[in-house]
Amino acid sequence: MSVPTSFRQQLLGTIPRLRRYAHSLVMDAAAADDLVQTALERALSHWHQFDQQRDLLVWVIGIAHNAHMDSLRRGGRLSIVDPHELQAEQDRRGSDPGADVGLRMDLAAALQRLPVEQREPLLLVTLEELSYAECAEVLRIPIGTVMSRISRGRVALRALLDGRPPAPAAQPLRRVV
Amino acid sequence: MSAHLFSTPDERDAALSAWLDGELPPARRAEVEAWLQANPDEAAHLRLWAADRDALRARFGPVEAEPVPERLQQLVWQHTPEAAPAGSGWRGRWAAAFAVFMVGGLVGAGLVWRLQPAPAAVARAGPAEGWVQRAALAHSVYVPEQRHPVEVAVAGRTADESRAQEEHLSRWLTRRLDLPVKLFDLREQGYELVGGRLLPDAGGPGAQLMYQASGGSTRVTVYLRKPDEAAPAAFRYERDGEVGLFYWVEAGTGYALAGSLPRAQLLALAEAIHRQQPLPAPK
Repeated sequence: MSVPTSFRQQLLGTIPRLRRYAHSLVMDAAAADDLVQTALERALSHWHQFDQQRDLLVWVIGIAHNAHMDSLRRGGRLSIVDPHELQAEQDRRGSDPGADVGLRMDLAAALQRLPVEQREPLLLVTLEELSYAECAEVLRIPIGTVMSRISRGRVALRALLDGRPPAPAAQPLRRVV
Repeated sequence: MSAHLFSTPDERDAALSAWLDGELPPARRAEVEAWLQANPDEAAHLRLWAADRDALRARFGPVEAEPVPERLQQLVWQHTPEAAPAGSGWRGRWAAAFAVFMVGGLVGAGLVWRLQPAPAAVARAGPAEGWVQRAALAHSVYVPEQRHPVEVAVAGRTADESRAQEEHLSRWLTRRLDLPVKLFDLREQGYELVGGRLLPDAGGPGAQLMYQASGGSTRVTVYLRKPDEAAPAAFRYERDGEVGLFYWVEAGTGYALAGSLPRAQLLALAEAIHRQQPLPAPK
């Protein structure tokens, strides 16, 4: 059974946003388009699994997420979500905040320093404007986890942009009577 | 009370973050908003997060507007998956293998042959002119889009609001294209204007107007731009798979109407547009 033309057309329609997502996730432009290519190939191979009631973009982004994770695993670059690991990961990646380049570079550099577990949900929700529920579906994690990873990602991103190392552990909030 | 709204900083950050993303249920949202009013420092912090969000959108937004790389377009049109996607997964393949085993010989070989990937489809014979091809591509790209089919939507809460939006869209596209852009009224033909978008094109921007069948989901698009120098003025028709395309050049404007409709229906729309074309600008 060959891939229907209508599916190919629909898929074509997802490319601009799929590319935007890939380029924000993987800063290297060629690598980002390779990721898009892999996601499109997989989508075409599994077109019959796509439920037309669903949003094709969300489905394809989910495929891109899996492909990205596969490539990180192959490269042995996947970190485990743990605050201490996370801190070590950030230390390993160096501490140059990129202060001498413009705001734009700062943002991209800071984004790349976020662990992928935080970077992905943050990008899906802020840039791609997915709902938490859609984001949970793409990443296959509970909504509560989406919520906490996004907020941690925001805190860490801001700290990096301010040139501060991200705070490792949370301090209990002082009670003001 | 407000100090006790969150028991940990993590909980506070998660709630503020979800507030920013519009993900809190109404009651919780109201609580958080009251808390923010009482804690202006935290509100300032939240504004920084909002600024980071806007910076991310500004940084990566332009990628979406880039033309889709040729290699990815070809991939989507021509890629033929290797495994037979029969929907039956391994069972289908085992059944096929079993059939090969049982029938054997030439018949089996023939079956295996059919399970091989087909040779890549020959490149589609596209329309003669580049801008027409780009119009067809823009049609395929944006028609399936559910959230952002257009950049400027004309639907308003009231008729006045819609009219104001239409005027805004028409003025904006006229200015950017340097062409009189008129929003065609296709309601008599059963199509409502959804809105429009500006598109990058070789040698200058193009505009896409999108129409949707009243009470239906069928969409057609009209692409407008300054035509290439040697573009012929003739009224032409091409079909590419499901998408039919009428295109013509008149009064210094190139028009391309695209839609997955039978030729006669598309022609009726093309004629309606042709009748409504703006007059050439006075010299």
